[in-house]
Amino acid sequence: MAEKRLRIALAGNTNVGKSVIFNYLTGLHQHIGNWPGKTVEKAEGTLHFKGYTIDIIDLPGIYSLSTYSIEEQISREYITVEKPDVVINVVDASVLERNLYFTLQLMGLNVPLVLALNQVDMAKKKGIEIDVEKLEKLLGIPVVPTVAIKGIGIFKLLERAVEIAEKRETPKMVVKFGKEVEDGIAKLVKMLEGVHCRYPPRYVAIRLLEGDEELEKEIERLNPEVVATAKKISKELEELHGHSCSTVIMAERYEIAGRIAREVQKLSSSTKPRLEERLHNLTTHKIAGYVIMILSLLAIFYSIFTAGGYLSEFLNELFYITEPLFYELFGTGAIGNLMWSVMEGVIAGITIALPYIVPFYIVLYFLEDSGYLSRIAFLMGNIMHKIGLHGKAIIPLILGYGCNVPACLGCRIMETERERLLAVFVTTLVPCAARTVIILGLVGKYLGIEYALALYIFNLAIIFALGRLAFKVLPGEPTALIMEMHDYRWPHLKTVLKQTWFRLLEFIKIAFPLIILGSFTIKLIEVFGLLEPIALALSPVTVTWLGLPLITGIALIFGVLRKELTLIMLATLFGTTNFAEVPGFGPIQMIVFTIVTMFYIPCISTIAALIKEIGWKKALIITIFEILFAITIGGIAYRILIQIFALGH
Amino acid sequence: MGKRTIPLTALKAGETATVVSIDAVFCKGCGKRWGFEKRLMDMGLTPGTKVTVVKSAPFHGPVEILVRGSRLALGRGIADRILVEVED
Ligand SMILES: Nc1nc2c(ncn2[C@@H]2O[C@H](COP(=O)(O)OP(=O)(O)OP(=O)(O)O)[C@@H](O)[C@H]2O)c(=O)[nH]1
Ligand SMILES: [Mg+2]
Repeated sequence: MAEKRLRIALAGNTNVGKSVIFNYLTGLHQHIGNWPGKTVEKAEGTLHFKGYTIDIIDLPGIYSLSTYSIEEQISREYITVEKPDVVINVVDASVLERNLYFTLQLMGLNVPLVLALNQVDMAKKKGIEIDVEKLEKLLGIPVVPTVAIKGIGIFKLLERAVEIAEKRETPKMVVKFGKEVEDGIAKLVKMLEGVHCRYPPRYVAIRLLEGDEELEKEIERLNPEVVATAKKISKELEELHGHSCSTVIMAERYEIAGRIAREVQKLSSSTKPRLEERLHNLTTHKIAGYVIMILSLLAIFYSIFTAGGYLSEFLNELFYITEPLFYELFGTGAIGNLMWSVMEGVIAGITIALPYIVPFYIVLYFLEDSGYLSRIAFLMGNIMHKIGLHGKAIIPLILGYGCNVPACLGCRIMETERERLLAVFVTTLVPCAARTVIILGLVGKYLGIEYALALYIFNLAIIFALGRLAFKVLPGEPTALIMEMHDYRWPHLKTVLKQTWFRLLEFIKIAFPLIILGSFTIKLIEVFGLLEPIALALSPVTVTWLGLPLITGIALIFGVLRKELTLIMLATLFGTTNFAEVPGFGPIQMIVFTIVTMFYIPCISTIAALIKEIGWKKALIITIFEILFAITIGGIAYRILIQIFALGH
Repeated sequence: MGKRTIPLTALKAGETATVVSIDAVFCKGCGKRWGFEKRLMDMGLTPGTKVTVVKSAPFHGPVEILVRGSRLALGRGIADRILVEVED
């Protein structure tokens, strides 16, 4: 017997809760947060339900079938071309009208459709109550109210989706436009009768009148007459209405969406502004907004540093208790030595990297889920313009502090290729969590928090300067910012902790094998007496120009794999995690070493992401540029620091 | 009582007006339409819609508006191209 399979796609505007539903259904962990444009690639997961094997597809948010950026194209492609068995249209109940606009577009595609009326809890808080039965009747498709974050209504949603899929029931309602537009559509539909096209004729007719260039090309090949007629009709409609034909269609569609929304909504407006509202006003205020932004960034920095320091200390003590135990276990011979050196790497990974990474991600996800990121984008609009980008680019940039890889992918929310390239470039300069480990765990710990802070500010200055430079190389006007700012909400603690936990697992799974392998390799190289020659080969740069201890060259090589490895391998090479007692590795060397690691090359995963996003040529240029830049700036810093420290003494 | 057509950016914070039209912009050099006027309409700013300006970010930063129950941030460059009608 053939396996019963179904494909269900989740589609809808950005930030409505598609990924929350996806995660709930599949047990996977798509990125969740409170800002528009997190999901930029389609994701698939499976589940078993009522004898079916169901593939669930999480799609990027999309406002309209007239796509505007790459991630929207991915969604449209999937819905229109790959035609899932059912589309679950997830809508935000608190912004019903705008969400229904897309629903009305989906209805024209003749795919079985179910509406997930999500975030009804948020709507209720805003004083919006929705008559589900009436909405169901008006739209002619099943409507299931849900609170995805709590799993409410999801089971029912799935049930209805499967039901609709079994019946292969497509929406019966036809979205009717005004008389003139309908006449035009009818004419085109008639012409399309003999044309074999993968889309329904009425959909094609409407899209042509809306001026869909892609579809125009496709139909042009099948029957150029249709396109010519569509253009003629558009012209006539434009003369008649005084607006372009697409404007007329969009306005009429919105009118229908608005009418439905008004009919099913019951509004109870409250008199006093809600807390969310007041918080929004405060955090986007022209003075208070900036003060709050700077203060919260400082507070975050300080708390991560403090929490990380404590954790690190604690873990350190815990681990060094095991040292004698270890020698006892393996003896102090060659094997014991080798095992201990591997152990040293692992301990360094646990005591140096983990303590900073964990609090860091908790804070980042907390921030993301609150909705603060889009406010920062609003405030930073002008500064981002100076590097040729619009405000939204600050969001991938901030995510870059977590990890550059998803941040590079996140740059897809930028609309043009030029802006994506600029955004991707500056993103690779952002010190990710791994580099934070080095800034806080080395400079912060041994020289003081003010030095670490200075390095972050220095890094920001460099990002700005290089961003300006890149802007000069790639001139052009930034496209306009169009960004939805969703209401603040109290971050969902479970989501925050879950996302942190998965990050941590990922880190352990990827980093620790590398650490073990790295430590092993170093020991092997040492046994074969190759450590010196390799380090010596790099010494003109590392020792002569940068003023670093000879052995750091080896650590820097490992940093290409993952940035935190530089410090961890350094611990293995020095044979201690207490860097203060290493001769020849004083404050100046620590700072120079950190500056170099901050910039010298995107790590290998980031390079892979770069290749994927901007092609290998540009990726190579960025990589080489950053190597040269880091070496140059490191050497200059070394010479300046010598002067400064000499003055101090 | 006359009606005036002005750019959205000429509205003061807290003022509401009706969208009249959005000027298209052509990308300098390539001559291609950027299509953001279409995007704005897809997000609800169709002619005849009520729009409220909430505030603008300082130093010529973005403009915050309310339209059809959603809160949008728009770059000043395009906010300038949205023409609205106000009653005197
Ligand atoms: N209160 C409440 N919050 C919700 C609900 N569903 C989702 N959220 C929150 O809404 C935000 C967006 O959820 P996501 O699942 O990331 O949204 P998405 O539709 O995948 O967004 P994009 O991938 O950016 O298009 C997150 O902060 C969620 O915690 C809900 O039913 N109630
Ligand atoms: Mg998503």
